[in-house]
Amino acid sequence: QTTGLVGLAVAENPHERLRILYTKILGVLQNIPKDAAYRKYTEQIVNQRFSLVQTETDVQKLQDKLNSGHIEEVIVQAENELSLARNMLQWKPWEPLIEEPPSDQWRWPI
Amino acid sequence: TVRPKNEVEQKQLCAFGEYMAEILPKYIQQVQVTCFNELELLIHPDGIIPVLTFLRDHTNAQFKSLADLTAVDVPSRQYRFEIVYNLLSLRFNSRIRVKTYTDELTPVDSAVSVHKAANWYEREVWDMYGVFFANHPDLRRILTDYGFEGHPFRKDFPLSGYVEV
Repeated sequence: QTTGLVGLAVAENPHERLRILYTKILGVLQNIPKDAAYRKYTEQIVNQRFSLVQTETDVQKLQDKLNSGHIEEVIVQAENELSLARNMLQWKPWEPLIEEPPSDQWRWPI
Repeated sequence: TVRPKNEVEQKQLCAFGEYMAEILPKYIQQVQVTCFNELELLIHPDGIIPVLTFLRDHTNAQFKSLADLTAVDVPSRQYRFEIVYNLLSLRFNSRIRVKTYTDELTPVDSAVSVHKAANWYEREVWDMYGVFFANHPDLRRILTDYGFEGHPFRKDFPLSGYVEV
């Protein structure tokens, strides 16, 4: 059996893999300040997907409920979200604006 | 005839723009939605790599495809060059534009670490405008002749060049 996508092998035991990834993401998010919008929204998304993964054991039905392509794609997306969370710890984008642009910078027409 | 206004898409793009501005207040200076339903994020140049990785990796914004990387020269401004990134999301079928600014001498972070497609586009921007990209693997001329001096797309470069052919 194949996924039908080039370069993506079929994942055996996707529920386990997704459970590990989502717990890791939530662990990384704990280190971000509580009032950051990134932490709020990402926790919302991850908890929503996590609850769906835990309640639904059939792979096909889980794919339909998540409505986000194949399970293998969902796993790839979770891995991306994990690396993004780790990078966000370094960049800290919730702080206020670094520098205002010059007043005529974004005026169009000039 | 006039193109019909798509209010639903306009509202969705406005909502997404506000979402972005709430998550990344450190780098996003302005968000605008054109009347043709195109979302534009105006960024501080230090935030190119964070914003592009966010747009590529976040679940609500999987903009995996870099469609275009160009620059605009507006010589009357203090930071004359405006770098424009056009991204496409295949999962959600939507496009977004990310704009930054720089002047002639300040280097800009290369987007190659985020999108491999940016390689030749950045070479073209370097060749045509003279914008230097830091951490680019191979920044050299791509369209001009081998001994060519000058950056042709700048507004102060004459139409028929400096060298007689």
